[in-house]
Amino acid sequence: MFKDSQAKKIASFNGITLFWIPTNKFKTNSINIFFHDNLTNANASKNALIPAVLRRGCTKYPSIRDISLYLDELYGTSFDCGVTKKGENQIIQFYIEYISDKYISENIDITKKAFDFLMEIITEPVLEDGCFKNEYVAQETEKMKELIKGRVNNKMHYAVERCLEEVCKGEPFGIYDYGSLENLESINCKDLYEHYLKFIKTLPMYVFVSGDLKPEDIDYIKDNLFKIDREEVIDIKEAEIEIAVDKVKNVTETFDVNQGKLSLGFRTNTYPNDEEYYKLILYNSILGGGVHSKLFQNVREKEGLAYYVFSRLEKFKGLMVISSGIEIENKDKTIEIINKQLEDIAKGNITEYEYEAAQKSIETGIKSIKDSQLQLVDFYLSQYITKSEDTPDMVIEKVKNASIKDVADIALKVKLDTIYFITNNEKEI
Amino acid sequence: MEIKTINYDKIDETMYLYQHKSGLKVFVIPKKGYSKKFAAFGTHYGSINSEFVVNGERVKVPDGIAHFLEHKLFEQKDGSVMDKFSKLGSNPNAYTSFSQTVYLFSCIDKFFENFNLLLDYVQNPYITEESVEKEKAIIGQEIRMYEDNPDWRVFFNLLDAFYKENPVKIDIAGTIESISKIDREILYKCYNTFYHPSNMVIVVVGDVEVEKVFQMVEENIFKSEKDIEIERIFPKEPDEINKHYKEQKLAVAMPLFLMGFKDVNFESKGINCLNREIAVKILLEIILGRSSDLYTELYNEGLINNTFDFDYSIEENYAFSSFGGESKDPLLVKEKVISKIEDLCKKGIDEKDYQRIKKAMRGRFIRQLNSVDRIAHMFMSVYFKEVNIFDYLNVYDQITFDYVEKVFREHFNKERLAVSVIKPIS
Repeated sequence: MFKDSQAKKIASFNGITLFWIPTNKFKTNSINIFFHDNLTNANASKNALIPAVLRRGCTKYPSIRDISLYLDELYGTSFDCGVTKKGENQIIQFYIEYISDKYISENIDITKKAFDFLMEIITEPVLEDGCFKNEYVAQETEKMKELIKGRVNNKMHYAVERCLEEVCKGEPFGIYDYGSLENLESINCKDLYEHYLKFIKTLPMYVFVSGDLKPEDIDYIKDNLFKIDREEVIDIKEAEIEIAVDKVKNVTETFDVNQGKLSLGFRTNTYPNDEEYYKLILYNSILGGGVHSKLFQNVREKEGLAYYVFSRLEKFKGLMVISSGIEIENKDKTIEIINKQLEDIAKGNITEYEYEAAQKSIETGIKSIKDSQLQLVDFYLSQYITKSEDTPDMVIEKVKNASIKDVADIALKVKLDTIYFITNNEKEI
Repeated sequence: MEIKTINYDKIDETMYLYQHKSGLKVFVIPKKGYSKKFAAFGTHYGSINSEFVVNGERVKVPDGIAHFLEHKLFEQKDGSVMDKFSKLGSNPNAYTSFSQTVYLFSCIDKFFENFNLLLDYVQNPYITEESVEKEKAIIGQEIRMYEDNPDWRVFFNLLDAFYKENPVKIDIAGTIESISKIDREILYKCYNTFYHPSNMVIVVVGDVEVEKVFQMVEENIFKSEKDIEIERIFPKEPDEINKHYKEQKLAVAMPLFLMGFKDVNFESKGINCLNREIAVKILLEIILGRSSDLYTELYNEGLINNTFDFDYSIEENYAFSSFGGESKDPLLVKEKVISKIEDLCKKGIDEKDYQRIKKAMRGRFIRQLNSVDRIAHMFMSVYFKEVNIFDYLNVYDQITFDYVEKVFREHFNKERLAVSVIKPIS
């Protein structure tokens, strides 16, 4: 048998890689199918629209209502799909999670039903005159526009995303997960369907099955994946990570808000599959990765400037962001305190408490991954993208080997690129 | 030590219960094979308890004090207790809701050291005038953050539309003005009133030694039997709603709305409160869930998008349903919901829909038991209603179509429908 924490690679063919995460501690099983593309202006909105249109219906269940009626009968099985970006990869995900056989009184072979459903959604869309149903494409295009416009509603997320987009302006990472309004305008039903045909045939696919499954279930999934009509798959490019900063950019956006949002975007110049990356994980945790961190202790606890303040890594593109919600007039003072923390960490002014607490916090976070099927799948997918063979336990070990001096060394590679601020009209800064 | 064991064979779960002499009840729900261990220590005291009688004295405290006290409990004589948890590698946290305050941590190792810390700091407040003043700045920023959060605003504006007097309409954190009146003395008064073990509960979820949990409680809870009587005072709330419509402008891209029905004549304790919750949730699915005609119509006409969601809340002195999301025309959504309900009143509810949705909701309930955090949070959210989370299984087994039909006729009364809308500024 396999270790509980291990994703086992079952097979690889036609640009499809199948993994199984065997575990019996959950009450559900899940199947995730991922398609990968390079994040580009030309494809971002099309890729985002494909799952939006496919989830409207397939030949057998041609509407949201039909899908919902069917999933209700499968004991409240949950299904969803969408897009995210990891670095400069755009990832299109199809997900289904269903209750394990042992909690079902009737014998209905639920794994087979769930997998068949997911495949029907992906490969048998509702067609009209040899194309996607126009009504679905038009409605989903409108809704995606609303989604893009609605980004501003949550200022906390918006301030983080916009800051990193500004850091990477002109690079693929600067493209929003759903593309842009201009791109959406230009997509018609026919283009989208043609794009879909290419999508299905040529994008690399990763399939993760997790849970308490029988070997014959895995065989069934493998055999059916083999039946998908595939061509040669495209190459996925690696993101450019080492980029020099000439001059720190200042970007300000104005909204009618009460609280200012300050985000600082950095280039870490560190590759996720490099041994240096483990030092960066520790650096980030000491800086702003929790209540033990320098930012929390100083910006919040000591100075009372903020309720929330944190730093976070975007490992696939080698970025880091610090973000906080503050009084607008406290912008300069907050930047000053943040700079002081950055200087201290670079000088190696790190207390034993900060070091130990950061180490333990990382260990706790990584070990917790094993308690969630979705997090386990995300962990192994991320490892696969970055070509890292490390299991969660190995990551913990490698971080443990990083010293205070290592943290101070890595600090020298982390360069401030952009200061992003949300302000209002009332107060002059 | 007397330990009660309850087995839920159908879903492979067991719950252990022990009662301390102070009246404090302690529950353990073991989760074999999980890395994470979770403990929560909660008190039946939240933002709505701003007026009470204790030892014959009637007290009215500033809004936001339960939440303020939650922040201050982390401070100990020898520094912040957060640091001690951090040294152990655990994640401490706390939250204040309308009717409870909960202190919790999750950890991987050294569960009992963490648990000991939790028991210790929640029982030993150390509040200084200086630290109270400093906290006003931090909570001030928390309040400012929520002022700009449209989801939060649309929710509280709906509560304001429902209720004329009920303190549930007041923001949990209070206002910058109300918290300015908070001082050390008044915080201690609230602490001494509501943090007696008999008013509290502990739940532990995870792969832990059950008896050792109870042993540690036995040895570390130092108050004995109940020494105070608390009378919670709530203003009288009429059945009718405060206003049918409330609107606010914020920096959003498109309007968002939340609407719902104010509930009256409900039992807020015991299994009947879960029955009502499940009945209304089944009905909401039937009326506007993804398998309904109404959802299809609203979605296709561009009146709702994927942000659309619905819920039902039932607590000790209030209950309401709510549904909403982004919409270019919230009032048209309202008209369509009303006409669908009128239509269902005439035609009646289809029993097949009821059966199917009940089956799906039961499955989704079982799925939630995958998460240690989720179990602990769900446990806390129902416990002070004198039920436990596994009682939901009985509800699904015993609820009847007749009952759901009866609740349909009681709850969905358009006289008690209120709408809250957030509109873009320009």
